Amino acid sequence: MGRRDRTPRHLIMSDRAVAANDRTLFEAVGLAKEYDDGRVPALRGVDFRIQRGEFVSIVGPSGCGKTTLLNMLGLLDTPTGGELRYGGTALSRVADPATYRAREVGFIFQSFHLLPTFTVEENVQIPMFGLPWKRAERKARAVELLTAVGLSHRLGHLPVKLSGGERQRAAIARSLANRPAILLADEPTGNLDSKNAAHIMELLKRLQQEHEATLVLVTHDHEVARHASRLIRMKDGQILSDGATPADPGS
Amino acid sequence: MTFLEVIFRGLWRRPVRTGLTGLGIAIGIAAFVALVGMSAGYEKGVTRQLDVIGIDVVVSNMQGGIMPKAFEESVRDGVAALPGVAEANATLMQMLSVEDAPMMVVYGREWGSFTWDGLKLLDGRLPRDAAEPAVVLGKLAAEVLGKKPGDKIQIETGEFEVVGIVDGQSVLENGAVNLALPRFQEVSGYENRVNFINIRVPPGTDETQTAALCRQIEESFPGLRAVKAGDVVGTSQGFQMAQAMSWSTSLLALVVGVLGVMNTMLMSVFERKHEIGVLLALGWKRSRIMALILCESAAMGLLGGVIGVALGALTLAGLELTPMVRGFLEPDLGWPLAVRAILIALAVGVISGLYPAWRSSRLSPSIALQG
Repeated sequence: MGRRDRTPRHLIMSDRAVAANDRTLFEAVGLAKEYDDGRVPALRGVDFRIQRGEFVSIVGPSGCGKTTLLNMLGLLDTPTGGELRYGGTALSRVADPATYRAREVGFIFQSFHLLPTFTVEENVQIPMFGLPWKRAERKARAVELLTAVGLSHRLGHLPVKLSGGERQRAAIARSLANRPAILLADEPTGNLDSKNAAHIMELLKRLQQEHEATLVLVTHDHEVARHASRLIRMKDGQILSDGATPADPGS
Repeated sequence: MTFLEVIFRGLWRRPVRTGLTGLGIAIGIAAFVALVGMSAGYEKGVTRQLDVIGIDVVVSNMQGGIMPKAFEESVRDGVAALPGVAEANATLMQMLSVEDAPMMVVYGREWGSFTWDGLKLLDGRLPRDAAEPAVVLGKLAAEVLGKKPGDKIQIETGEFEVVGIVDGQSVLENGAVNLALPRFQEVSGYENRVNFINIRVPPGTDETQTAALCRQIEESFPGLRAVKAGDVVGTSQGFQMAQAMSWSTSLLALVVGVLGVMNTMLMSVFERKHEIGVLLALGWKRSRIMALILCESAAMGLLGGVIGVALGALTLAGLELTPMVRGFLEPDLGWPLAVRAILIALAVGVISGLYPAWRSSRLSPSIALQG
C-alpha cells in the first residue's frame, strides 16, 4: 500500500468529507493567528490548498508569518481563526497532536536541532519512539536513512563532530525516519554556505520524490525556493501570490 | 537505543551536577542507614542479652532517660513472693566512664543469681563471693580497657582487681564490667538501691499468665513497670527517644534530598526546554516526556540510595570501632534495612521529579523550540 493511500486512523474521521481520491492534503480557509491578545497579528486569514506529493516553497521576509504557518501545518501551534484541514479533517479536532506528528510529519529546522548527547544514528532513531517498532527495526531504519544521505561513516559520531552540511543531512535523515506523509522544512539551508545549500536542496528534493512525501519549505532565499514546483509569496501575514515557481523566483 | 539509554544519556548530560545531587541523596540515606542501624543494633543487643540470661519479665522504673531511675532493693523480695514468679533478682546497671573508656555499661549483679550463668569464663575466674572487690570483664570491655586478669581497675570511688574475662554471648554483656551488687552499690553511691529486677517465670507459663503477672506487679508496686522480655526495648523511654531522634534526623535529611533533586530536575527541564521542544516536534507524547523526567529523577534517587547504603554501612563499620560504641552497641545493617533505604531513595527521586515532569509537560513545542 502506497504512503498516500494510508488512512490516518488517529485523526477524527467524522469530518471526512473529502473523497478518497481527492489529492488535497492541506486546505486552509481564512487561517489566522494572533499573539499577545490580538495585538500582534501573524497570519491574517490566508487561504490555500496543498496537494499530496507537492513541493511548495513559502517565501517572504522575516516576520511575514511563514514559520507560524509551517508550525500550524505540523500542529506545533494552533490558529486563532479560520480552519486548517488535513486530508479533509479539521486539525483543530485532532485528538492527539503527538500521534499526528509521530506518524504524519517530518520536521527539518534551520538550526538542525540534533540532540547533542546522542550520536547521529541515535538522533535518527528519536522520532521512531512514537511508533510500535522494535529496537532492531529502529536501528536498521536509521542506518538505511543515514546511508541514503551519505553519512554511513558518521553513525557513531556526536553532532558536534559534524560539519554544518553533515548535520543538516542527518536532520533530513531524521525527518524521514517515521515515513512521514509531509516534510516541513523551516529555512533548511539558512545556516549553510551556498555550495552546501545546493547539495542539501538536491538531496531533499530527491528524497521527497523517492519517499513520495509532500514537502513544504519555508525560506527567504529565492535560490532555494527555485527548487520547488510551486511558490507561495507572503508578506505581513498574507499571501501575495500563489502559483508555479517561475524561472527566476526573485523577480 | 532504548528508552533506558535515553534516560541515562539525560543524566549524563551534566555528570557533575548529577553526581553532586546523587551524593546529596546518598548522604541523607547514609544518615538514615547509620541512625536506624544503630537503634536496630541496640534493640537486637538488648533482646539477645535478655534471651541469653533467660529473663522473662523485667521490672524497672521506665522513666529517667537512657538508664531507669533506681528504687529500693527490697522491692525484689516483694516481687519474689508473688505467685507466678519462679526466681527474681536485682541488678544495678549504670553507664559510666571507666578509666579511658568514655562510656561503659557496669553491672552490679546479685551474687549467685542466674544473671551470672550466661557469662562463659574465657580467662581467670569469677569473684569468690559478694564481698570480694573483684570484677569480671566482658571480652570487648577487656579489649577496650586493655585489661587482663590481675590488673587493677578504678570504678567510681573504688579500686577493683580484674579476676576474669568472660564471653557474655551478646554485645551488651561482652562490653560490660560485672561485679557483685553490694560492691557496686557501695562505690556508686546507690546503697540498697537497684534499677532492674529480673524475673523468671515457672516453665509452662503462657503469655496471658505472664501479662497478668506484669499487671499484678505494677498494681503492687506503684511507680514501677513490669514488661515482658520481648517488649523491653519498645517500652524503654531512652530507646523511644533515640528512635524518634533517628527517624526525625533521617526525615530532615530526606526532605533536604527531595529539595535538592527537585532543584536539579527543574534546572534540567529549564535547560532542556529546547530539547523538549524538539522531542515534541518529533512526535514524542507529553506523557513520554513526563516519564523521561520522572525516570531520570528516580534513577538519580536510586543511584543516591545505593551509594547511601554503602556509605551508611561504612559509617556503621567505623562507629563500631569507636570507644563510644564498641561493646555497647552492635550496629545492625541487614538486607531489610538496605532495601528499605533504597526504596526510600527511589521514592525521594520519584516525588522530586513530579513537579519538574509536570512543568515539562506544560511546555508549548513552538515556544520551546525557540529555546
